Amino acid sequence: MTAAPRPGPRHLHPLTFVVGAVRELMALIGAAAAGLVVGGLTTGVYFTLIGLALSLTHHLVKWFTFTYAVYDDRVELRRALLGRSVKNIPIERIRGVDISATLGHRLLKLAVVRIDAAAGGDGGEEGTLNAVSRQEAERLRRTLLSSARTGPAHPDAVAPDVVYAQARPRWYLYAPLTGAYLLTPFAVAGSVFGTLYNLGDDLGLVTRDRLRHVGDDVLGLPVGLGVAAAVLVLLVTPAISIIAFALFNWNFTLRARDGAVVVERGLVTRRSVSLERRRIRGAELRDNLLERFAGVVRLRALVTGLGDEAHRGQLLPASPRGDARDVAARLLGGIPSPLTAHPPAARTRRVVRAMAPPLAVAVIALLAGQPWIAYACMAVSVLAVPLGLDRYRQLGHASDGARLSVRSGALRRRQSVVEHRAVVGWRLRQTLFQRRLGLATLVVALGAGDGGAPAVDMAETDAIAFAHRITPEWVAPFLERP
Amino acid sequence: MRLRPPDNRVSPRAMAQWGLEYLLGWAIATGLAAGAAAWIDASHWSGLPHALVTRVWWVPPLVAALGLVTVVVAPVWRYRVHRWEVSSDVVYTRAGWFNRHWLLVPVSRIQTVDTDQGWVERILGLATIKISTASHEGSSKVAGLTVQVAIRLAADLAGRAHDLRDDAT
Repeated sequence: MTAAPRPGPRHLHPLTFVVGAVRELMALIGAAAAGLVVGGLTTGVYFTLIGLALSLTHHLVKWFTFTYAVYDDRVELRRALLGRSVKNIPIERIRGVDISATLGHRLLKLAVVRIDAAAGGDGGEEGTLNAVSRQEAERLRRTLLSSARTGPAHPDAVAPDVVYAQARPRWYLYAPLTGAYLLTPFAVAGSVFGTLYNLGDDLGLVTRDRLRHVGDDVLGLPVGLGVAAAVLVLLVTPAISIIAFALFNWNFTLRARDGAVVVERGLVTRRSVSLERRRIRGAELRDNLLERFAGVVRLRALVTGLGDEAHRGQLLPASPRGDARDVAARLLGGIPSPLTAHPPAARTRRVVRAMAPPLAVAVIALLAGQPWIAYACMAVSVLAVPLGLDRYRQLGHASDGARLSVRSGALRRRQSVVEHRAVVGWRLRQTLFQRRLGLATLVVALGAGDGGAPAVDMAETDAIAFAHRITPEWVAPFLERP
Repeated sequence: MRLRPPDNRVSPRAMAQWGLEYLLGWAIATGLAAGAAAWIDASHWSGLPHALVTRVWWVPPLVAALGLVTVVVAPVWRYRVHRWEVSSDVVYTRAGWFNRHWLLVPVSRIQTVDTDQGWVERILGLATIKISTASHEGSSKVAGLTVQVAIRLAADLAGRAHDLRDDAT
């Protein structure tokens, strides 16, 4: 390569193998202890010790044979154990640098660096440095993401860190509103029960007889106890979801640094995700019904060519709507508002679509001679009316000359704000019913996020005018001549 | 403001292709429905209401009738809807039948252009062009082109996409 190496190849931090070794040591000690308890000092224990020695050697050799180097145009990861593998990541393709540190790493002041790069196709490629010192991690991040090298510098590229948002204690209380965190207790409980069951099974505690009795025992309990248990679950679930949220998002901080946006979070494992600022082409504000009533919203970045976008694109967890909008506006330069409402025909369509599925089931139930199911479905379809109306109220689109915004959904609402230059193409969809109502759905095709942001049920002519306003040169040649 | 239809129709042979594909698909569906009906009839399964079990033999003819209508109507309908055009370095396509979609993709945002030929298409001398961008919503397919047109169009688009490519995505 023509470019001169800056610091030359480096090894990972020498303490790296300690972390790996300690982790394996714990697992092996656990296994050995169990072995000792069950069968005394048997061959199994010796095998365990040999395994430990082997794994230590493995870690040492791995550390010794792995080097990395940062050149002007690329990062080189070189592994030469038996075979030899060299991985080159062109610096211009790097989209993000992700620094994380588990408890062990943090005690030793180490960090794992993950370099995320857009590959030629749609799948990303990445390199992992496990692990380097914290200072080295910071240095790598600055080198790999400094925008001075890759193009025109962003206005605040040299400015010191600017804190865009920082978690306030109130934020932790929003955790139960977000569905995913509410489900964590059940996932945890499931895996704990599974482990206990397996353990019990191994020790011969689970017998067919006992299993049969579990059912009787549960059913035989007094009703009061059942109600108490239900209340307890209702109380405990949000509490655990808050704990889970705090574990992942402790001291959530979003700051701008060197032309990058850095998210730092986590209690035990501290994670820091950097996104190259000029690759951020938009943002998404998402909320569900509970979050909407509480006035909070989650914010995600739309970044082109980012792998694992669901996790790395996160800019803010559920946080007050005003704060989230401020952050989005600072990142993108503004949020187009107010949103233009969609035509009244869209309201009809939303309501009909909300009512149709339960009504269809009701008809089938009636035909099958199940009147009670039919009545229940009819009741549901009446309840669907306000849902349809709300879905209509949430529809909207806007553009302010540099950014466009579309919003849809009611139970899970999503507002996308996208820079005009990020638009890849336009897709106009029209069903037979939409055609009769003069409506169409305009999908803004994007090379980020889910691949598109739909503006549902716009008036057909408005949809085309909207696309024409944003990219006149793409639409004008195909307009109907007056 | 309204969009005019794209200039070029696909090859009329595409109707034969779609007809054949729908015929095969619906024949399989009818076969499966008949199999399921026979199984439910023979097993006297109590999981379904009696009224449904006695009428289970209505299903296969219903599927067949639906298929017949689709096979007759859909290819002609699709042929009338499917159109494409490339001008001012924008690919403009219209597709669908029952539901329609229009797609506008500038050549500068195209990442790859593929030409595909299934076995039915090979028999009929047709090909499908797949135009991919960074977004799957912005990726389009033009089916039912003759092989010569498809190859020429693909080469043309790929060449111009290379010249115009901007990394705005």
